[in-house]
Amino acid sequence: MSTKLINLQHISKSYGDNLILDDMNLYIRENEFLTLLGPSGCGKTTTLRIIGGFEKADQGIVYFDGLDISQLPPNKRQVNTVFQKYALFTHMSIAENIAFGLKIKGKSKAYIDDKINYALKLVNLEGYGHRSPDSLSGGQQQRIAIARAIVNEPKVLLLDEPLGALDLKLRQDMQYELIRLKNELGITFIYVTHDQEEALTMSDTIVVMNQGYIQQIGTPEDIYNEPENAFVADFIGDSNIIDAIMVQDELVDILGTKFACVDKGFGNNTPVDVVIRPEDVELVAPEKGTLEGVVTHLIFKGVHYEMEVLAGGFEWLVHSTALVPVGTKVGIHVDPFNIQIMNKPESEDEEAAVLDE
Amino acid sequence: MKNFLSLQARRVYIGLIMLFLYAPIITLIVLSFNASRSRAKWGGFTLNWYRALFENEAVMQALYNTLAIALLSSLIATVIGTISCIAINGMKKRGRTIFMGITNIPMLNADIVTGISLMLLFISLGVRFGFNTILLSHITFNIPYVILSVMPRMKQLNPSVYEAALDLGASPLKAYFKVVLPDLMPAIQSGFLMAFTMSLDDFIITHFTKGPGIDTLSTKIYTEVKKGIKPEMYALSTLIFVTVLVLLVLVNKTPVPEKKIRRLPVHGLTGKPWFKYGLTGILLLLIGGGLIFGITGLDEPKIEQVIVYNWGEYLDPEVIKMFEEETGIQVIYDEFETNEIMYPKVEAGTSAYDVICPSDYMIEKMIENDLLLEIDFSRIPNAANIGEQYYEQSKAFDPQNKYSVPYCWGTVGILYNKTMVEEPVDSWSILWDERYKNNILMQDSVRDAFMVALKLSGYSMNSIDKEELRQAKELLIRQQPLVQAYVVDQVRDKMIGGEAALGVIYSGEAIYTKRENSDLEYVIPKEGTNVWIDSWVIPKTSKNKENAETFINYMCRADIALMNFEYITYSTPNDAARALIEDEDIRNSTIAFPDLNQYDHLETFTYIGEDGDALYNKLWKEVKSQ
Repeated sequence: MSTKLINLQHISKSYGDNLILDDMNLYIRENEFLTLLGPSGCGKTTTLRIIGGFEKADQGIVYFDGLDISQLPPNKRQVNTVFQKYALFTHMSIAENIAFGLKIKGKSKAYIDDKINYALKLVNLEGYGHRSPDSLSGGQQQRIAIARAIVNEPKVLLLDEPLGALDLKLRQDMQYELIRLKNELGITFIYVTHDQEEALTMSDTIVVMNQGYIQQIGTPEDIYNEPENAFVADFIGDSNIIDAIMVQDELVDILGTKFACVDKGFGNNTPVDVVIRPEDVELVAPEKGTLEGVVTHLIFKGVHYEMEVLAGGFEWLVHSTALVPVGTKVGIHVDPFNIQIMNKPESEDEEAAVLDE
Repeated sequence: MKNFLSLQARRVYIGLIMLFLYAPIITLIVLSFNASRSRAKWGGFTLNWYRALFENEAVMQALYNTLAIALLSSLIATVIGTISCIAINGMKKRGRTIFMGITNIPMLNADIVTGISLMLLFISLGVRFGFNTILLSHITFNIPYVILSVMPRMKQLNPSVYEAALDLGASPLKAYFKVVLPDLMPAIQSGFLMAFTMSLDDFIITHFTKGPGIDTLSTKIYTEVKKGIKPEMYALSTLIFVTVLVLLVLVNKTPVPEKKIRRLPVHGLTGKPWFKYGLTGILLLLIGGGLIFGITGLDEPKIEQVIVYNWGEYLDPEVIKMFEEETGIQVIYDEFETNEIMYPKVEAGTSAYDVICPSDYMIEKMIENDLLLEIDFSRIPNAANIGEQYYEQSKAFDPQNKYSVPYCWGTVGILYNKTMVEEPVDSWSILWDERYKNNILMQDSVRDAFMVALKLSGYSMNSIDKEELRQAKELLIRQQPLVQAYVVDQVRDKMIGGEAALGVIYSGEAIYTKRENSDLEYVIPKEGTNVWIDSWVIPKTSKNKENAETFINYMCRADIALMNFEYITYSTPNDAARALIEDEDIRNSTIAFPDLNQYDHLETFTYIGEDGDALYNKLWKEVKSQ
């Protein structure tokens, strides 16, 4: 997991006046499952297309295994792509679809037959070779698209929102399928999605992007538990993001009430953003809480109840397995290690991103 | 709403619609199996017309031309159109909208505008009219249809499909041919078929862009209007209809997205080889054929030739072969339908015709507009075979007999059914007899109709005197309630079928109608009538005047004139030929060969000028609008 297989250096790309990527630097290690996560228009797909060779960066260099491949056309690159809408060749049978790349490379018939069988087995669609792509469901088509890509034994598989067109249940199944595939193949996956749950489930590394900038790179746990800014916090899961003042190390003033926390080094009396996950807000008896409030909304969500609590002039989002009726007076308690302190955004772009969300 | 109409009523309604749509075609198909030449009589079932059709070289040549042009033009248009689609698809939205608009215009444009503008373009570029010009024109009007068919499919195309092919290692070109093209194929095929049908169908544009010596089926059929469409053409039209029907069914079937992929063992990418090679073979053959055609068409001929422009079906094809064999001069033969269609083509100089066969008044107009060359009669010794009376008659339009040599002639008279008209007919006045109300057929042509009225009033049929014409008009208006129909070709068929008692008809038709129905009789009324003459002339555009004179001389040879007379059945002015006719009844027929000296007030149409034409047309409109 240590070699930098792909290395993007100072990549910039714009369409007309529209800046898509601005001086981006990113490397992807061998055998990594890396996800580019962000809202639409954040530059994640463009990044993937630059790696695939479908777009050329205006500036910057793409290294693959230490070699500059910036000018290499897609058909010469050792990567294969799984497209969002499958992009199967409808006039060919499934076997022909899978054989397409191998035929171009001039492989023998026996080799190709072997590979087709292997790939169909891998994606659990044995015996489908003679059928037409149109006769398959969306999930099956996507698995064929994956099979078609992997028979070429790419070092890197690029996946552009491959599950976007599938329904929820199928999407979840396919997530496990993809993890299994990646482990069996032992190759690098670069995955693009706007679905944070998908990203958290599958990735080794998540790259959160917004408006052409990388916001944070880290493991799913890092990204979820310690978002570096309000954008990341807001984009990954539901959050309470509150203006606060860092009074001193390990003490923060939230909505006029002092809370103990574990963060240090922000200085004294510094304005900060505080992130508290809804499941980390504990509702207790009014007199036992740090802050007093009243329940204003209640929705049953299946695994938990989702509530809104008006406390200190802020609508707190709270997830709890216990039902607290609307109108109940409650106290709010947050454990110190569940309070995540973040610097206020520095650039206007970041600010804008927060407002957008 | 469901019970708004009863099921019965709905069925009747649908039935009626189908009847209106298909009755004409069914009639045509039925007639193509009719043993009788007449449309009015069922003479039993026969396949003779189909056999005659396939034995008719000119028609088969036209069929070949039609198919070759349709196939080549639709193929080339398909290639150009598809490439254009790729380009248009790559444009920004604005450019795309503009371009799609531009490509749609030629489709909406009237054919006649397209045809004339193409003709003018070819003339200004100095291109020789022939196979090439037709082909180019057809390609031009076919391209929009291909674009119309391919473009929507192109827009639906998932761009990732092309990228996926690149991603899997295909070069951009390979990706296009292996992935994009097959995806577009159904649309390309239906575009091709649509273009093919359009080309097969076209008359107007072909008419304006064709040169001498080449005909497609549609132009070939149309040239036959002067002599009436032959039943072979019903057979041909039936075949065309069936072909187009089959093509349409194919067009409508192909775009259906194929749900099943039939064939294909695991690696059947190549498909069936015989199919691929067969198709390629046919394509090469056609394109090769087209090229050879094109090249020979372009070549300035080194051999002697003569370009003849004649009425359709107005010469025995055998005569042309004999002429070519005997003289070594190659004949390029072109046909026209009416004087009015011939004139502008000659005037515009689309082709350097050497010999033309216009009618009397049109010859006068051509002399007046300085379009004709004087004929050197010393080179046409056979001109002496033409009877003196015909030269006399020709002086009406060619006063010094310098420009024309008579070829065919005839009279206009009354054809009547002896079982329906008891009294002897000898005057135009019988056409005003109340007793024959709704049993009278008049010619639906302004000069022929006025000729009858003017002659009855004792005036010249070339009168441009307003008062005389007013009287004639009044007469025609008075006659109108008695007239069953104003028709052209149908006089013949209706009279044969006994549908009318009296009809105004050309003598050339009369001989044939009498043969089909012996109750019919033809007379030249005592008030006089029209003696029409079609003569050979040499236009100023001629580049082979000597060959033209050789040709005219050949046509005047007694045995040749006889062959033509037997083929056309219109009266020949060639006395020597008449003497050779074996059948005494025909040789002495007063219908075919009336002695002109026995009749008074015979006249020949002269050119009355544009003002005269306008006046006649105005008055005729007044008659018809009553």
